[in-house]
Amino acid sequence: MRKGAGEPPIVLYENVRKRFGQFVALNGVSAQVNKGEVMCLIGPSGSGKSTLLRCTNGLEKIDGGRIVFEGESLPSDERAMRIIRRRMGMVFQNFELFPHKTALGNVAIGPTTVLGMNEAEANARAAILLDKVGLADKAASYPANLSGGQQQRVAIARALAMEPDVMLFDEPTSALDPETIGEVLNVMKALAEEGMTMVVVTHEMTFARRVANWVVVFERGAVVEQGPPTQIFEAPHSARTRDFLSHLGWGG
Amino acid sequence: MNLDWSIVWQSRGALLEGVLLTILLTILTMLIAIPGGILLALMRLSRSSILAGASTSFVELFRNLPLILVVYWAFYVMPVLLGIELSPFTTGLVALCLNVSAYNSETFRSGINSIRKGQMEAGVALGMSRAQAMRQIIFPQAWRRVLPVLASAWVSLFKDTSLVSVIAVGELAHTALQIRSQSFRVLEMLTAMAVIYWLLGYPQAKLVDWIYRKFGITE
Repeated sequence: MRKGAGEPPIVLYENVRKRFGQFVALNGVSAQVNKGEVMCLIGPSGSGKSTLLRCTNGLEKIDGGRIVFEGESLPSDERAMRIIRRRMGMVFQNFELFPHKTALGNVAIGPTTVLGMNEAEANARAAILLDKVGLADKAASYPANLSGGQQQRVAIARALAMEPDVMLFDEPTSALDPETIGEVLNVMKALAEEGMTMVVVTHEMTFARRVANWVVVFERGAVVEQGPPTQIFEAPHSARTRDFLSHLGWGG
Repeated sequence: MNLDWSIVWQSRGALLEGVLLTILLTILTMLIAIPGGILLALMRLSRSSILAGASTSFVELFRNLPLILVVYWAFYVMPVLLGIELSPFTTGLVALCLNVSAYNSETFRSGINSIRKGQMEAGVALGMSRAQAMRQIIFPQAWRRVLPVLASAWVSLFKDTSLVSVIAVGELAHTALQIRSQSFRVLEMLTAMAVIYWLLGYPQAKLVDWIYRKFGITE
């Protein structure tokens, strides 16, 4: 049975549509994210995975269908959406750390600015989180002096500082040097083991195979197939899933 | 040729007053034109088309008019048109502020626009409002990029204040030119004026170079 199936889903996508001008980015996508599960979105570049992720926290507005978060449709009002975003952490492909802040400052800025937490308390929380991602010794470093893998781990800590209900990862290892990918994936894996609900857009098939509870395969803005990783990677129902995986050199 | 440099020393009091007025004019103009430029830039970047349109019109008007024309306009036309009667000094200050605010607003706007879109998104994704993300994330970064350009604008402004001499503001240029026409010591006074402007301007230019080195960082 699928993980978290007994409880209502944290995120529910119903026939979600999104277009950019003439380009249809999402052509009626339906899926759900259960509590405590890791859902990986895979598929070719430009197939709509990242767009769906960005619609989840309202960085993009959907044109049709609906997205339900913890039982309620995402509000169109920006102010209400802001409250929802506090409960969703997001990690970007290019880290997007704030270059004028130290690692500690990057992690503390969410709680101080958004939650109105006092600086000492926020810094204490940030220090714990940096330790958790293995960067306690880098608290005073600026992003420019950190490797890509370290920057992305700070970015994960920054998102966790808001104590979100769900973490959204947008190709978190795509901009990394191969030797630092592992350290980021390990942090994500540890997070998954703690029971964090995660939606991960990724090209790391090994990670999806080992860590995901549910895998959704995208092509041209639509879901080709979804299921547990054993199905997707060992016995895909769809020929297009098989095609996509074989292009990546996945023997299955 | 009969040169008499003593006229420069004899006029030192007047020249010093002129220098002080030039510096005062530069400082006051920047003190007004920096917030003015920020305001105009924010108006132009705002989602209100009225504010953006008003700002764009203002900026494009004053950026594309010769400063000396704006100075004359403020002196002769503004009192008639708007019924505002100001001293020459204030009139000159208004003209400089109109011009420099327009330029500064473009500096701030391009500084803000030069920050990657993802930075704003990262702030918004944490739950910040756009205004919070502007204050916490965009401005502190844009400021570093804008500072060297502002410093250059400062040096230009320092020299451009000489244009308000045409409406008899007693700053350095006006004072020196007055002494020249009274004493007929043209070569001496123009040379003295050049030397004073250069001596004052050169350290500022060097300071700008230093600011460029220190803040003109690439990521």
